[in-house]
Amino acid sequence: MRTHPTVLLTVLGFVGLIAPAVAHHGFETEYDNDKIITATGLVSKIEWTNPHMHVYVDVTDAAGKVTTYNLELTSPNAIQRLGWNKNDLVAGEKVTFKAHAGKVVESRAALDSLVKANAPKQEIFKGQRPEDLGSN
Amino acid sequence: MKKMLVLSAAVIGTLVLLLAQLQAQQAQQANEIVVGQLNGKPVIQPVRRGVDYRDAISPTDPAMNGPVPRLPDGHPDLTGPWEGGGSDNDMGVEGGLKPGELDSLLLPAAKKLKEERSKAIYGEPYIYCLPMSVPRINPYPWKFVMGYTSKGLQYIYQLHETGDAGAHRVIYMDGRPHPNPATLIASWWGHSIGHWEGDTLVIDTVGYNDKFWFDAPGTPHSEKLHTIERWTRISYGTLVNDFTVEDPDTFSKPVQLRYVARIVKPGVELMEYICAENNQIGIAGGYLGKSDASQIGIGGGPVLKDEKK
Repeated sequence: MRTHPTVLLTVLGFVGLIAPAVAHHGFETEYDNDKIITATGLVSKIEWTNPHMHVYVDVTDAAGKVTTYNLELTSPNAIQRLGWNKNDLVAGEKVTFKAHAGKVVESRAALDSLVKANAPKQEIFKGQRPEDLGSN
Repeated sequence: MKKMLVLSAAVIGTLVLLLAQLQAQQAQQANEIVVGQLNGKPVIQPVRRGVDYRDAISPTDPAMNGPVPRLPDGHPDLTGPWEGGGSDNDMGVEGGLKPGELDSLLLPAAKKLKEERSKAIYGEPYIYCLPMSVPRINPYPWKFVMGYTSKGLQYIYQLHETGDAGAHRVIYMDGRPHPNPATLIASWWGHSIGHWEGDTLVIDTVGYNDKFWFDAPGTPHSEKLHTIERWTRISYGTLVNDFTVEDPDTFSKPVQLRYVARIVKPGVELMEYICAENNQIGIAGGYLGKSDASQIGIGGGPVLKDEKK
């Protein structure tokens, strides 16, 4: 017995209707959800600024070239309300981060996770998610 | 064989539809809780409908149902701080309408403008730190400040942690009327006058500019916008905003919406939020200098020398 194409299309059609609408002014206009950057480097600067916090990390590649990644977080108020403060991460610390690259400027990225080299299981500023970025 | 296939398709289709309905019902039950009554009808507290209430107390916390605190003059204390109570991602759905229902009320020119805004993804004034205005509320605390003088309650100020771009909204409670519309200069927050109807604070506003967006997809309005907010604190934890929008240049009829705010957790206060300080919106996405960004005029923040493109 052949599968009738109509059956498949009917089912897919219904499933398609269930999918939630995606808000378009947030994270996905600025960053690429599928372009994941994972790197290790030294924190060069932390900005506890509005509207969003930024953590800058210098990453040196195999050829010795240094790229400064500008990682965007959510608002400093939101991070503080999660219990973090300015002593939890300071310039000069070695960190590994995972982030979503900018759609055009790759070295600007939305932070997904950040850990210190000496505490790889403790995420810094945990609770921040990419969907918190955008128009808030 | 063909009959069997058609029958199978019908059965599978029906099953999928039923499953979808069940999932929708479960999602609704999981996300919406009846938190009280207003005018004899239940008030539903959405757990997440645009606003995630991250700093608010849980809707199942017994403190939610505590008595309404009152001011020395007997009026309900509406101070808060609150979370929610307005639109953000979708003015209609967050206000209790069905998806698409609000758009169906847009007049042709307004519909066209919304479609254009949907394409101009970096056109929204708010992402350049300009005010959100009424009725937008994003996931940060806000409060009413009751301004008493020797004459009693003369002003109410509405303060948002974000959303008012460092300004404040004034609601005149001293009985003055709106200014003459012929001389009123349109502004971001318009001209608001308020009065009490029993325990409900009624705020009537005209004189808005047409620059701010009602929500992220760009639901528009004109300078003819007239809003009426009816704020009722039905319990310790719940503040209802019954919101009426009239704009004969935008909507085919007045629109009635309901938003629900929730009291924040103990200790949560409004914090400083100077949005224009370091706004780097548009750079990572490559939108700087594009027409939809430059029409607003933006700061952009520092650009690093070694940025990789």
